Amino acid sequence: MSKEHVFEVVKNVIVEVLPDIKPDQIHIEKNLRELGANSIDRMEVVTMSMEELDLKIPLMSFAQVSDIQGMVDVLTENYMASVESN
Amino acid sequence: MLTTNKVGITGMGTVSSIGNNVSTFCNSLRSGKSGIKKTPATEELKVSVDIAAKIEGFSFSDSIDRFQNVSEEKCQHAKRLGRRAPFVIQTSIVSALEAWSNARLHDNRPLPERVGLIVAGQNSTQNYQYDLISKFRKNPEYLSPRYALEFLETNQVGVLSELFDIKGEGFAVGGASATGNVGIIKGYQLVRAGLVDVCLVTGVVADLSPMDIQGFINIGAMGGKQYLDQPEKACRPFDTQHEGFIYGQASACVVLESEISAKKRGVSFLAEINGYALSLDSNSAANPNVDGEAKAMLSALNQAGLSVSDVDYINTHGSSSPLGDKTEAEAIGKAFKDHTSDLWLNSTKGLTGHCLYSAGVVETIATVAQMQQGFLHPNKNLETPVCDNLQFCGTEAIDYEFDVAMSNSFGFGGINTSIVLKRR
Repeated sequence: MSKEHVFEVVKNVIVEVLPDIKPDQIHIEKNLRELGANSIDRMEVVTMSMEELDLKIPLMSFAQVSDIQGMVDVLTENYMASVESN
Repeated sequence: MLTTNKVGITGMGTVSSIGNNVSTFCNSLRSGKSGIKKTPATEELKVSVDIAAKIEGFSFSDSIDRFQNVSEEKCQHAKRLGRRAPFVIQTSIVSALEAWSNARLHDNRPLPERVGLIVAGQNSTQNYQYDLISKFRKNPEYLSPRYALEFLETNQVGVLSELFDIKGEGFAVGGASATGNVGIIKGYQLVRAGLVDVCLVTGVVADLSPMDIQGFINIGAMGGKQYLDQPEKACRPFDTQHEGFIYGQASACVVLESEISAKKRGVSFLAEINGYALSLDSNSAANPNVDGEAKAMLSALNQAGLSVSDVDYINTHGSSSPLGDKTEAEAIGKAFKDHTSDLWLNSTKGLTGHCLYSAGVVETIATVAQMQQGFLHPNKNLETPVCDNLQFCGTEAIDYEFDVAMSNSFGFGGINTSIVLKRR
């Protein structure tokens, strides 16, 4: 449930950062580069998703992430922890 | 590699408070339409003067869609670059597209390496930064990574060079209120020296933060205090009731080109740039200097190979500042002597407000437009001139054919500039 919620948030952010992309083009196994994102767009997707989810995660945590799936996993892990601690 | 190649203007574009393209801007000049009004109240901290000539109702996407002779691909590229960018970048893209199109560079252009780009702008991201500060204080982690690009003035260089595939020299220049003229002068030098064939010079919108506005009020430079209920009367260049400049917003862009390149491409000069002067007073303060301004005007004429009697019209700096207007009036008297009775003067700032960094480019466009169309725009609020030896335009436009014009811009820090333009 949380992972789906996080993916939904990330999807909305991607559409905002990359206005040429339609939501149905975004699949979790894709990477952002394939959707036309440059390195700054990718950083922005991470930062905006964190803000939407009210999370503060060191950017280094995303260093090994290669696709949307990986990003959603890191966000979800931290999101679950924050929900539990609240 | 110096050449004697002539340099002219082959394209112009603008987004301003009195017109979102050159054609509507010119119509406003002729009819004396002013963009100065009371600014809508916001929840933002109130500053003590809320009169300005702001760009209102600007839609980036609609502005791009209005270009009929620009390819769909170029429009999409422009939208991608500007859609999420600050307002200042968006207006720069729109005015640059108009100028580029006007110069017919979309389908017939020099090699990328032979095109230069000068962004005439300083501190143009002040309000963008000011708006982010309260959020940043709470959550610095959420600052957009794009900020590192966008707070730099040279972001404009990156964006415009990508849009127009410009690979010659490119940089940003500042010169306080003379920034626009400094940009045109540097562009002229690049073309004249043969370093590029075409140079895009873009004057950026001064998007002042409330703090910047209050600073101008506190230093005594900004007017409007006596006219809070009559904003249309607040900007009064060379009138005895002037009390300081009124803030204006405009993005303005000109394409400078060598005569050889223009001929090769089959385009005409809208006007030729004949000469210029850029000199300093050696002064850290805000006060202008009669000798420095007179010297700039005479040096520009000297470089153009013209005498004072050749000049028909001056688009003055005329900011509505009591000391500034008095100083410029004296400097014109000193430089032009008896010829002042044959020399027409107006101030575009009376209609557009003081567009600060872009003012020089806005006023060059106004000068070229009046020269091409044979008129001089009114000095709408000039009721009692500060002196009786100069020939100021009245409160209505006049029909007037002229060949040689000068455009002045003077900035804090003793920066004096004059440009000489000739009809083609």
